[in-house]
Amino acid sequence: MIKLRGIRKSFGRQEVLQGIDLTVEKGEVVAILGPSGSGKTTLLRCINYLEKPSDGTIHISDFTLDCKHAGKKEVHALRQRSAMVFQQYNLFNHKTALENVIEGLIVVKKVSKDEARKRGIQLLEKVGLGAKLDAYPSQLSGGQQQRVGIARALALEPEVILFDEPTSALDPELVGEVLAVIRRIAKEGITMIIVTHEMAFAQDVANHVVFMDGGVIVEEGPPAELFSNPKEERTKQFLKRYTPEFSYSI
Amino acid sequence: MEYGFDFAYVFKYVPKLLSTLDLTLLIVAGAIATGLIIGLLVALPRLYHVPVLKQLSMVYVSFFRGTPVLIQLFLFYYGLPEILKLVYIDVTRVPVLYFVIFTLGLNAGAFISETIRAAVTAVNRGQVEAAYAVGMTGYQAFTRIILPQALAIAVPVFSNLVIAMLKETSLAFTLGVMEMTGKAQSLGALSQHFLETYISLAIIYLIISLLLERVLLLAERRLQRHMRREQEKRSWFGLRRVPPLNRLTRELNLEKKEVPSYEA
Ligand SMILES: Nc1ncnc2c1ncn2[C@@H]1O[C@H](COP(=O)(O)OP(=O)(O)OP(=O)(O)O)[C@@H](O)[C@H]1O
Ligand SMILES: [Mg+2]
Repeated sequence: MIKLRGIRKSFGRQEVLQGIDLTVEKGEVVAILGPSGSGKTTLLRCINYLEKPSDGTIHISDFTLDCKHAGKKEVHALRQRSAMVFQQYNLFNHKTALENVIEGLIVVKKVSKDEARKRGIQLLEKVGLGAKLDAYPSQLSGGQQQRVGIARALALEPEVILFDEPTSALDPELVGEVLAVIRRIAKEGITMIIVTHEMAFAQDVANHVVFMDGGVIVEEGPPAELFSNPKEERTKQFLKRYTPEFSYSI
Repeated sequence: MEYGFDFAYVFKYVPKLLSTLDLTLLIVAGAIATGLIIGLLVALPRLYHVPVLKQLSMVYVSFFRGTPVLIQLFLFYYGLPEILKLVYIDVTRVPVLYFVIFTLGLNAGAFISETIRAAVTAVNRGQVEAAYAVGMTGYQAFTRIILPQALAIAVPVFSNLVIAMLKETSLAFTLGVMEMTGKAQSLGALSQHFLETYISLAIIYLIISLLLERVLLLAERRLQRHMRREQEKRSWFGLRRVPPLNRLTRELNLEKKEVPSYEA
């Protein structure tokens, strides 16, 4: 289980996160929606401390970190419990697909090379890249790179995988293959928090949807409820803008 | 004795000069090794914005880039013993060779630190974040993710440095070191066939440069294999290369585009 309490983050004088409380149950898939600049990416980056929150506590399974008194050790321990899939993939460019996937296993988890390779190959097969083990990122399409990114996250067996708009840098025809992979691993009961602009996908895959605006959570609930019967005015406006056909069909 | 150009001397002197090649190569290797260590040490405070050290490293780089190597050699050879005398360290018995290697090493270090700095900045920030997200420590991220890629970006520039260094070793003769140029000087003085000696000397430098370039190109190929989109076709002689500056600026631009305002 993941519990965020009172997460705050400021850049200079601008408070981008104004006290976020969020609870994610084990095995749950949470989609975070919201207009550009609402703080979705910042929130996700706070969860694995790529961004240092100014206040709040982060609790992941057995570990609690108080942002006010977090040293290097605590941050390192926190990061071990999550994995991240980036919008720009951020693969290690000098490593092959397989090496990308097993790098964390070998360096951080200290798994033996043979064992790591075995698991890496399994994972790449799972995301449909069994034939691309030795390809470098520069030799892969965006969709393939992002699937390597997902395999890399899975390899660490984290408590939660954080996705920041995993398909928004992709050509439209490549979006499907990546969403299909995410959908498949969602079914396996892996806890995920996904920032996305793919409304249909969020509605279909998430168990819980969170709508953020202006650094606060405006509204949250099961997708069926939030999409078809939003309570807050801001949520309604946002959904109207992003899914016009959808709002007409109600 | 009347002087007449005699081509036979050119061939005669090649083996004689080659007998001092080991010394020349020793200076190159020593200076580059020293330069690599110093360059990395000097680049770090600027990359990680360490207050006082950062300014010191900037002064060091400016000095060695902004003054002629010959003057640096003189300053260190004649000046350093005087300064060390003040703290009661006597280096007057240290062989000249060490001064030469040390000074050229400091010189190379200045250029290498700049090269490393540019190359490290060219590795995009996102990969470092990915390394952290995977659970790596700062040290692991630097040595496993940033450094190998930075080296690959830096090799072409580095190759040029090594070849420039080969030629700069010839300045050591001004301090009386009997490396190839020093040897040529004395051979010429003995026989009065200066021109022939310098021709052999030029031929040797040229051949060694070409060989070095070839070896460094192989290293470059190996370090940069991930940068190629597909297997490269072999051109005859295998000397096709992407202009290094192009690549550096391209990487720099890429980085600017991809990570506009974030940093961790
Ligand atoms: N490193 C930073 N320095 C200063 N301001 C920042 C930084 N990162 C984000 N911000 C600001 O914080 C706010 C929230 O940004 P964030 O990236 O979290 O939004 P987002 O909801 O992910 O938007 P998008 O949908 O466009 O990705 C924005 O106003 C942004 O300009
Ligand atoms: Mg974002």
